[in-house]
Amino acid sequence: MLHLYDQIEAAAAAIRGQWPGGKPRVGIILGTGIGPLAEKIEVEASIDYAAIPHFLKPTATGHKGRLVCGKLNGASVMAMEGRFHAYEGYPLDAITLPVRVMKALGCELLIVTNACGGMNPNFACGDIMVIDDHINLMGSNPLVGINDDRLGPRFPDMARPYDPELIDRAQAIARREDFPAHKGVFVAVQGPNLETRAEYRFLRLIGADAVGMSTVPEVLVAVHAGLRILGLSIVTDVCFPDALKPVDVAEIIATANEAEPKLRKIILGILADFAT
Amino acid sequence: MDTISQQVERAAAAIQAHGHPRPRVGIILGTGLSDFAHEIESLLELPYDEIPGFVAPTAPTHRGLLILGRIAGVPIVAMAGRCHGYEGHSAAQIAFPVRVLCELGVKTMIISNACGGMNPDYRVGDLMLVEDQINFTFASPLVGMIDESTGPHFTDMSAPFDRELLDRAAAIARREDFVAHRGVYVGVLGPNYETRAEYRMFRRLGTDAVGMSTVHEVIAARQCGLCVLALSVVTNECRPEALSGAKSSEVEHVATTAAPKVRAIIRGIVAGL
Repeated sequence: MLHLYDQIEAAAAAIRGQWPGGKPRVGIILGTGIGPLAEKIEVEASIDYAAIPHFLKPTATGHKGRLVCGKLNGASVMAMEGRFHAYEGYPLDAITLPVRVMKALGCELLIVTNACGGMNPNFACGDIMVIDDHINLMGSNPLVGINDDRLGPRFPDMARPYDPELIDRAQAIARREDFPAHKGVFVAVQGPNLETRAEYRFLRLIGADAVGMSTVPEVLVAVHAGLRILGLSIVTDVCFPDALKPVDVAEIIATANEAEPKLRKIILGILADFAT
Repeated sequence: MDTISQQVERAAAAIQAHGHPRPRVGIILGTGLSDFAHEIESLLELPYDEIPGFVAPTAPTHRGLLILGRIAGVPIVAMAGRCHGYEGHSAAQIAFPVRVLCELGVKTMIISNACGGMNPDYRVGDLMLVEDQINFTFASPLVGMIDESTGPHFTDMSAPFDRELLDRAAAIARREDFVAHRGVYVGVLGPNYETRAEYRMFRRLGTDAVGMSTVHEVIAARQCGLCVLALSVVTNECRPEALSGAKSSEVEHVATTAAPKVRAIIRGIVAGL
């Protein structure tokens, strides 16, 4: 991890150069199909990842590869339109570098979103899940390596990675807006294949409500960096092992796009508290 | 590139060059046990960087010294400090010193560690005698070792922990009047502590304690045909329904406080050999 410090500095400097006077309080990672939220930002700077040193090039479907900086509901934010995944073949420390850059630029909160497969039988397609906790089943960890104590502790605690107060706030917003937002456990796998029926049964057995191929690496790094975290998933397909249908990626993206307004309401509601 | 057997032989030769008697017992001293050297007579301390193929540990309280000497007259070799997967080392690298200890003549391995106790019967400071393990690190030190020069590629793990040593360790704990549970250890990569959901998962999987070491060393030791005893110090209680944050300074403190229990068992086991 000792190589990261200089990379963070270089990336942060490039962003500061393009966004003079930018003082973000919230970093947002927009997952699959959730990109449209970026259009609501009063843009002060829009930076291609290619112009930021050490940022990767997203290859995943529906991920643009642009950092959008500006005001969203009064709060100063930097939003990643497009994220990186382990299944793209990228190492986890590079995937999670943007989170460290958010911290370096002054962010206090990370809002991380994704599209997930719902395994809890109470979940329906298009529902929101507010992440209460996670299981890392990716087989790897972005914090492996010699620890850089300037960035965070050697053995970060994971008793409460997701901010309980923000979970409550998110659910209150969903109630007020009259749509379901379940609280649940997200399990992260490497992918890229979708799970077998036997794997879905196994993931339920170990206590997970939803499964996805992202988010956990960014959250581990955000905890390491001392950020508050809100994790929001859109249930884009339901994975009931005894009535499993083949997955259609176009359908997943369409479902995410349809559910995006719900997610937006939660995010805008939360951001109101971070207005500057 | 050298084969693993050649690397093992070279490391063993570098150690044997110092002319100590062939050790019969190998000991890995986990977190909090770095002062164990005081127990060892006529000792010789070799820094890891003087042994080809050994890597210096970066983990807190891990010194990075190989200690040769005697306990109760029995020649032993002890590792003060080990390397971990979370430091960026491969499973094969982590297990390498065990192979070298075997080459030196060791027949019995005693492996200690600090663990998080998930079984609700466990209290901070208790010992757990590892009765079985689950390797949840997504890696194995045996991957790619198809030449079988160091032992069978498909190593049997039906009973990796020696039953007789377990019974003797339990008897020592009774005699010395401290608690020593028997339980299943799950080895994870780390370095973060577990989430509540992960602790629940590990309980459902049938494990009692979780830690970031040991499993690769045990697998390699079994491949080499060694008798294995593993001892875990419960340094924190992991109760998902009432989880308080874990602090590595507390873990180190508890491990140090409980060290006399581990020492008593090591001493008793070695003396009985």
